[in-house]
Amino acid sequence: MSFFLSSTIDQAYHQLAQIEAELKAAMAGSKKIITREEWEKKLNDVKIKKEDMNKLVMNFLVTEGYVDAAEKFRKESGTEPDIDLATITDRMAVKKAVQCGNVEDAIEKVNDLNPEILDTNPQLFFHLQQQRLIELIRNGKVEEALEFAQEELAPRGEENQSFLEELERTVALLAFEDVSNCPVGELLDISQRLKTASEVNAAILTSQSHEKDPKLPSLLKMLIWAQNQLDEKAHYPRINDLSTARLEDPNV
Amino acid sequence: MSSSTNITTTDNSNHRDPGLWFLEQSRLGSVPGPTDMDEDEESPTELNTINSSGGFLVVSPDKLSARYTNVNLHGHDVGVVQANKSAPVKRLVYYFEIYVKDAGTKGQISIGFTTDNFKMRRQPGWEVNSCGYHGDDGFLYHGQGKGEPFGPTYTSDDRVGGGINYASREFFFTKNGTVVGTVPKDMKGPLYPTIAVHSQNEEVQVNFGQQPFAFDLKEFEAQERMKQQMMIEKISLPTNVSHGIVRSYLLHYGYEDTLNSFDMASKSTVPPVYIAQENGFDEQDIMYALNQRNTLRQLVRNGEIDSALVKLREWYPQIVQDDKSATCFLLHCQKFIELVRVGALEEAVKYGRIELAKFFDLPVFEDIVQDCVALLAYERPQESSVGYLLEESQREVVADTVNAMILSTNPNLKDSNGFLHSYLERLLRQLTACSLERRSLSGDQGEAFHLHRVLNICKKARLGAS
Repeated sequence: MSFFLSSTIDQAYHQLAQIEAELKAAMAGSKKIITREEWEKKLNDVKIKKEDMNKLVMNFLVTEGYVDAAEKFRKESGTEPDIDLATITDRMAVKKAVQCGNVEDAIEKVNDLNPEILDTNPQLFFHLQQQRLIELIRNGKVEEALEFAQEELAPRGEENQSFLEELERTVALLAFEDVSNCPVGELLDISQRLKTASEVNAAILTSQSHEKDPKLPSLLKMLIWAQNQLDEKAHYPRINDLSTARLEDPNV
Repeated sequence: MSSSTNITTTDNSNHRDPGLWFLEQSRLGSVPGPTDMDEDEESPTELNTINSSGGFLVVSPDKLSARYTNVNLHGHDVGVVQANKSAPVKRLVYYFEIYVKDAGTKGQISIGFTTDNFKMRRQPGWEVNSCGYHGDDGFLYHGQGKGEPFGPTYTSDDRVGGGINYASREFFFTKNGTVVGTVPKDMKGPLYPTIAVHSQNEEVQVNFGQQPFAFDLKEFEAQERMKQQMMIEKISLPTNVSHGIVRSYLLHYGYEDTLNSFDMASKSTVPPVYIAQENGFDEQDIMYALNQRNTLRQLVRNGEIDSALVKLREWYPQIVQDDKSATCFLLHCQKFIELVRVGALEEAVKYGRIELAKFFDLPVFEDIVQDCVALLAYERPQESSVGYLLEESQREVVADTVNAMILSTNPNLKDSNGFLHSYLERLLRQLTACSLERRSLSGDQGEAFHLHRVLNICKKARLGAS
């Protein structure tokens, strides 16, 4: 009797386990389930060369303009930068000049670097001139600002409708005594300087046949994308927080 | 005897010597492009003369052109021929081209893709599981007798191409270098590039890539990658996350001088970058012994292995206690390599006998120790097959091993495996594994992510542009 009972209990357990497995599979749809152990094996099988990671880091330092760090990194890791480090200093000087509002100085520096950059990039040149106008207005030099707008910017606006609109928007700053409350007040914001600075930075990099953005952020985006893509086909351990790179168990 | 001790150290993963992991890194150095495995896939090179519709067409001796020699009478005497291999799948795009040498009496030429069991007397596209772009009407046939208007007709002297875009899962066809159209690829299994001729004197030459294509395939691939990139660029990232990952990389590997310059510069940028715990970065594990790790890295990188060993014995005797550990092995190898580098061959032989001989019968070390000793055989070892050992990257591997072993001695280590891989490396491994897994769940089709390739593609593209 007792033997019979225990075997039915065993059977019941067995059935329960089966139902549970089926339920899990149904909940998971037809997706493949990859356990942490299996996934870690796959991660370990990936072959990544240290020197390639070093190149990636060097590319970040160089593109973002960390010239001293790039120089040190070359010494410490033996990684060759993919651009002449001296050109970073010049590029950063231009960027900084715009960030600090010294637009005239920036334009001169860009032209020293390579006059073709502004010649072949009318939009960039317009944005720099616009920034110059913004700085004149910021400093309360109304007369100078008006003269500059009429002589330098208006002729360019005639060539291009969007330039004209930008010019009008900028000149509108003069109409308000209290710019902090005016609808175009954002032009006076620090973010406008940063925008112009990064535009000129990108143009210089392009002129040096270097990509204007570092590769690392693209790869991080690619990781998010690749995980989303794989989500459609499988349950597997994900990295949800890039800053901890912690592998999290699949919730199946 | 010694091999049995070795089995216990490698098979018991709980007590596995973490330094062994770096032996793999060292081996990676010996392979020029360890991640370019995809290119090993076989591609079509010529026409398959065994499985062609014999009797209706004649394939030239070089197996790269076909001519219809009969007079066609009905729909079942098509001269059709497949490539000798199916189109490779582990890539972004496969593509081949034909040149119509002679459109014959009716110009009933077609180009397309068919499967293994295709009826070799029919035009590609007429049967299920096949598709073809036909010259006489410019129609696309896709598994039915009736075609659909698709592109222009083509005839003598035209160059026509057929391709598979694995990213968009489409077939595409070109005429004289321009894409004429695309059609969804709903066929499974190996697909063979296929051509057919069906009227007297029609003659077609095939180009499987041996000759330059009329179509700019590289540009097409670049455009495809760009499309994907544009989609990916829309994803937003937490502020300064790249900055934080770079910083943790510098910390992890003990690039202390770089780190200091990086931090200095970060403070003075507009706006300044603050990376701290608030962003979720946990740097406690990798702050450990930064200065000592940096000192040892410099010593190894300068080839001063004796000094490195002295420092290690003083600061971290537990790391160099076991003289048969992977760390000691790599350090001894490096010392040997440094002696070879400066031409002190006699001393190298002496050192090898004392310190390397004992690794010869240990399977995990055998191949590397043999490579090291092989350096002695060459007058110019740099140019030999074991020359990789003399490269900077080998010093870096040894420096990384020592660095990781020191990190592992941290008594407050939170992540027990964290000392092996930097955050950046973990993210890149995850990215690669996801991409490979997705491809394997998609019938092995498409291009997988490889860091090495991403770094090099851009370089090539840039060179091409300038």
